Amino acid sequence: MRLTVNGKAIQIDAEPEMPLLWALRDLAGILGPKFGCGIAACGACTVLVDGAPVRSCVMPVSQATGDIITIEGIGTPEALHPVQQAWIDEQVSQCGYCQAGQIMTAVALLEANPAPTDEDIDNAFGGNLCRCGTYPRIRAAVKRAAGAPAGA
Amino acid sequence: MSRLGTITRRTFLVGAVAVAGGVAFGTWYVRRPYANPLLDGLGEDEVAFNPFVKIGTDETITIIAPRAEMGQGIATTLAAFVAEELDVRLDQVTVEHGPASPAYYNAAMMEEAGPFPFFDESLMAEVTRRSFGTVAKVLGLQATGGSSSTRDGFIRMRQAGAAARIMLTEAAARRLDVPAAELTTADGEVIHEASGQRLTYGALALDAAAIEPPSDIPLRDRAEWKLLGQSQPRVDMLAKATGAPVFGVDVTAPDMLFGTVKMSPVFWQEPTAVNLSKAETVPGVIRIVPIFSTYGHGFGILATNTWAAFRAAGLIEADWGTPDYPADNAAIDARLTQALADPASGSSMRDEGDVETLFADAPRERLIEADYAVPLLAHACMEPMNATAKLADGKLTVWAPNQVPTLTAQLCASALGMETADVTVHTTQMGGGFGRREVDFSIYAALLADAAGGRPVKVTWTREEDIARDVFRPAAKGRFRARLDETGLPVALDMTIAAPSILGSVMRRTFPSISPVGPDATITQGAHDQPYSIENYRVRGIKADLGVPVGFWRSVGMSFNTYFHEGFLDEIAVAGGMDPVELRRRLVADYPAALGVVDRVAEMANWSEPPAEGRARGFAFALAFGSWIAQIVEIADTPAGIRIEKTWMATDVGIALDPSIIEAQLVSGAVFGFSSAMNQEITLREGRVEQSNFHDYDAMRMHQCPQFEIAILESAEKMGGVGELSTPTSVAALANAVFALTGKRVRQLPLSREVAFA
Amino acid sequence: MRFVVALALLALPAPVLAQEAASPQAGLAEWQKIFEVFSHPRCANCHTEDDHPRWSGAHYGPTRIHPFNVRRGPDGFGNTGLTCQTCHQETNAQILHGPPGAPNWHLAPAEMVWLEKSSAEICAQIKDPARTGGMDLEEVAIHVRDDALVAWGWDPGPGREPAPGSAEETFAALERWTALGAPCPAEGDE
Repeated sequence: MRLTVNGKAIQIDAEPEMPLLWALRDLAGILGPKFGCGIAACGACTVLVDGAPVRSCVMPVSQATGDIITIEGIGTPEALHPVQQAWIDEQVSQCGYCQAGQIMTAVALLEANPAPTDEDIDNAFGGNLCRCGTYPRIRAAVKRAAGAPAGA
Repeated sequence: MSRLGTITRRTFLVGAVAVAGGVAFGTWYVRRPYANPLLDGLGEDEVAFNPFVKIGTDETITIIAPRAEMGQGIATTLAAFVAEELDVRLDQVTVEHGPASPAYYNAAMMEEAGPFPFFDESLMAEVTRRSFGTVAKVLGLQATGGSSSTRDGFIRMRQAGAAARIMLTEAAARRLDVPAAELTTADGEVIHEASGQRLTYGALALDAAAIEPPSDIPLRDRAEWKLLGQSQPRVDMLAKATGAPVFGVDVTAPDMLFGTVKMSPVFWQEPTAVNLSKAETVPGVIRIVPIFSTYGHGFGILATNTWAAFRAAGLIEADWGTPDYPADNAAIDARLTQALADPASGSSMRDEGDVETLFADAPRERLIEADYAVPLLAHACMEPMNATAKLADGKLTVWAPNQVPTLTAQLCASALGMETADVTVHTTQMGGGFGRREVDFSIYAALLADAAGGRPVKVTWTREEDIARDVFRPAAKGRFRARLDETGLPVALDMTIAAPSILGSVMRRTFPSISPVGPDATITQGAHDQPYSIENYRVRGIKADLGVPVGFWRSVGMSFNTYFHEGFLDEIAVAGGMDPVELRRRLVADYPAALGVVDRVAEMANWSEPPAEGRARGFAFALAFGSWIAQIVEIADTPAGIRIEKTWMATDVGIALDPSIIEAQLVSGAVFGFSSAMNQEITLREGRVEQSNFHDYDAMRMHQCPQFEIAILESAEKMGGVGELSTPTSVAALANAVFALTGKRVRQLPLSREVAFA
Repeated sequence: MRFVVALALLALPAPVLAQEAASPQAGLAEWQKIFEVFSHPRCANCHTEDDHPRWSGAHYGPTRIHPFNVRRGPDGFGNTGLTCQTCHQETNAQILHGPPGAPNWHLAPAEMVWLEKSSAEICAQIKDPARTGGMDLEEVAIHVRDDALVAWGWDPGPGREPAPGSAEETFAALERWTALGAPCPAEGDE
């Protein structure tokens, strides 16, 4: 089976029903997307497929035929994505486990809506659970990445 | 490898030893020292060494922050302790958790485990604190909990940094042949201003190892701090913004297998009538092995990928047994109610004045009474329980996101019949901890490694297993009564709380042969230890075993006792016709730090002005983990339900080591508390947990999150913790706000039993 | 693929059926079968008047708003960053409590409201092309028979009660009901 992840073709040997998350993590060694619930209820596994946010824990790998982008594919420590830079500037992460998913949601949101309102942010992030309660800083970082003054 | 001589009688001393490629600085414990965990073979008692900083000749500076990083920012603040005195920038250092070692014992956590309130500075209280701290040292308990890490490291780790700086400076003085007094240090260099000469720490590392350790290590005054007291960029932020594999679930080893566990959903029971045939045929499954442990019994699945293991776990068929404990919530409530019926069986944790006489004579109209109750709660860390283990050549290696590394080594060794010395524990970063990450998942991984033929195995729990096989926040119930005087102030307050003993439950699953005796202070934590002056004041705790495993859940006993205590004080205020803030002002008048936060938060929230139409506010105060906090929550009635609009918190932490991290922890603790108070509840049916995942055990989401306004004060004499500080008051202030909005006094959590949240 | 409704608009209008004199009881009996399908939670939970789909059932409790702030969005397919298809794939998750799936998972337009509506109200709605996306009854019947998302209602994945009957049976009931003059119950009749 062939996947396109972060611009690279990956060959894996997976059953078609295996969730994309486990194909990425256990078979391809791509560890950015996290396992949190397995039922699309927490958002920790969020990746982009053809630009749209998807919970990889419930997408059968056989349906993942598009271009898959994980947190590793949007930026690196040497060349951060603006959303990642905003996350650092706002010191968002605590435990950090949900943040790859949060960042991927932010990337998807800002791609389609470069100037989100508070309501837009609420409507985009309801599926991304954070048990550390970093929500206020996530909100600030999304706005910072959008170029709006923080706290606006 | 150099060997250090016997140290003279002092509690501890900071010194250095040469290690491969550089030097390590740290503290010796002289009276009962421990083996230096970084130096194999350096085992004699008199020369043990406890490193906090290593400097390589290649200029790498590594700080060991031996407390679990689970999001609370501890790695950053502990590193700042060392860096502050060492004169290096945080971006010059690498921070590691370091190995499991009794040398990293946590004295501060145990010091507050005794029955004395934090504000009690009596000789007896101080002696007890010291003896509990000594217990931690004797047990070598390296643990993260009790919001204790900064208090524990505050002296030790700064001294390690200062001693290193002194020895590096002395090495430079000898090399340059100038008096040490002419030298200064900055950004990892020793500088001789007069001659313009500079030597890097790396260049001095090997020489410094040979310098006599300083006998006197002065620490800098606060006014001289460059890092501490100011917000620092967190050392883990870049990794966490770029998806770096830093968590337990990310551990990867060559030739690794994957696995999971399916433990009996009926606690303590051994499965019978087992049928593994369906599970074993799942493609990718290698082996299914029974697990017997002090934590419970069930099965472990070895597979070529985690998903195969998960599928197999779901297909295991067995008779899981019959519960030998209260099997549903009605039975739990009955057990707690029964315990409360015999208050004399409890331990008196506070008893001032003459409560019995006051209530015997109390006129009915001056008396108020109420029962409060809370359910079991799961931790639901974002990262499900997991550990990776490898057993090869008689040595066990465990990689585990855990809060108790030394205990992990000990109990994994015990589970496999090995010597603790043959177990190595690597503590990874963790996706939330909240008190959950003890030893069970590591034991299971070790047992699966035993069946993996020498290959490493990463054992990840399903979310369903994580919730069903938690060590829960205890269910608890309290009975409260107060007698008011003519002015509405309480002249007598009597509180009885029944809850299972956390310590007893922990011992059952870790050291089942030891039966803990004496009272468990967590049962009344947050009730007996509050700085309220009431003439007749009694708090009793009753151990009521519920059979279900219970454990430490962010803020422990305070997670329910503050809700009880502050809820009941709110009732006293209403009954006495007194403003809730004014009531607290009167009762805490003897404690300036308490009065300070109460007044401050009232001012921030403009408490004296009524809230807007359709809104209401609730107030709560607590002395929690050495810090003082007052909180106001404002809620609104919306068509979709109650919405938490804003919360104000004023806290006095004594010394604010890192304001940004403190603010983050206050928000975090509040969201954690709100989540539990609004909707969370673990219920049992036939002894099994009914909830299974975030669809029925959810937590606060972005759109429910209120605005925060926070003030951090520093007038208190002692430094307090912050990791659990705001959880208790958030629960209580929210419940009090619900009363103010709806007139419903919700005395049993979650609040969603009686009101709906948006 | 958000053209389900639009495609239906392109279909040729079905021949107008003769309004045969038929027993209203027989027609109403057919309608009752249809109503039991349309008002079933597998269908009605996504035919809501407000912005929120609903959850209900053995593992989800009494009918409640879909958590996680899931909303209709501008086109029924959710909001940017949290579309229906962020979680709902083309097939059901096989794990208990996993999200159900079918192609084009989305909320029905707000005017096609069935949730908590009476039999009379749903009947009136289904006969009003302004509230069926322009579909006449024949087109509604074909939509019920052929649409993959509708079909999900009878194959809703583990742990969920399916809608009664089948797509084919519901199609047939719609055809018979239409042939019998498509009578609607009076308000208060069930």
